[in-house]
Amino acid sequence: MDNIASHENWKNCFSEIGPGLLLFARQWTRSAADAEDIVQEAFVKFWRRNHKINNRALLYATVRSIALDFIRRDKRRARREATVFAEADPSVEPQFEWEDEAQSALAAAVNCLPHDQREVIVLKIWNELTFSEIADALGISQNTAASRYRYALANLKKSLQPQ
Amino acid sequence: MNDFSELENDLRALRPARPSPVLFERIEEAMAENRKASVSDAKPMASWLRRFTETPYRFGIGLAAAAAAVLLLLARINTDPTRNEDKEIAQVSPPVETGPVRPAFSGRNGVDGSISSNKFISAGATQVVYNSRDEGLQFADSSRQPLRRLRYQTQQTWQWRNPSTGASLRVSYPSEEVVLIPVSGQ
Repeated sequence: MDNIASHENWKNCFSEIGPGLLLFARQWTRSAADAEDIVQEAFVKFWRRNHKINNRALLYATVRSIALDFIRRDKRRARREATVFAEADPSVEPQFEWEDEAQSALAAAVNCLPHDQREVIVLKIWNELTFSEIADALGISQNTAASRYRYALANLKKSLQPQ
Repeated sequence: MNDFSELENDLRALRPARPSPVLFERIEEAMAENRKASVSDAKPMASWLRRFTETPYRFGIGLAAAAAAVLLLLARINTDPTRNEDKEIAQVSPPVETGPVRPAFSGRNGVDGSISSNKFISAGATQVVYNSRDEGLQFADSSRQPLRRLRYQTQQTWQWRNPSTGASLRVSYPSEEVVLIPVSGQ
């Protein structure tokens, strides 16, 4: 079994999972630069500890843990950023690369999801984790992960329906 | 789930923003630094020490050896009060005594200003036998007289005290002793 520390071409590995990791981290920071800091710290930490590459749940749990530490370290800044972000146009720092208006609306709808639903959908859709891995990464049961996913899809469908 | 398959496909078609090229460079640098740090950390560890720490069993041996070394070091602090008191007097006595003669060290209970602040003196030693076993008679190679072999399991405790600071040190360890007692045949 391959492990990340002995993975010679880690860039290929990171090219595959980097965008998903970054999107996952963006849920807590809202700023791309901070999210990149978190991803860097988590990826290097994961690599340094010789964890298996396929232990994706642990990698995402590491990102989450570092992101939460980041929030705790700088609560005031996070609060200020959250306020600014809430008032700002989400297209200022896009989390997605959309090609048309429909995708733009979908991205906006994802951003409006409740946090617990959004993190499950981010892990499931753009990081391709199984419900078991999501449960491990978030410290919840598989049933909870699956039901949050269904609620997220239902909410998205509802918000995308023409008024 | 089938109700959402179209929505799931739409979501998958939406691509997350890619990390900046700077992030790749930063991760590369961080990994290179970590690799250097781990190599330099590993260098000072001698190969024999690494062997000890590789497995829990060997680590146990290493730990036991370290504990024995600490015990020897502690035993060297002061196991013989008289000898060390003499040494203390020799160390702290001035070369020429011009004033009235007084002992440089006033004994175990006395606190003297001439005692170095980091000096511990022996404050007691106990040996508690918590198990003894008679292993029967046996004959030594050089003698026809039978010997009774007794095995004692004890707990030994040594105590030291620093009279100037009031600090005390206590070392306790289990020990096993085998005693051969000649038996007279009558």
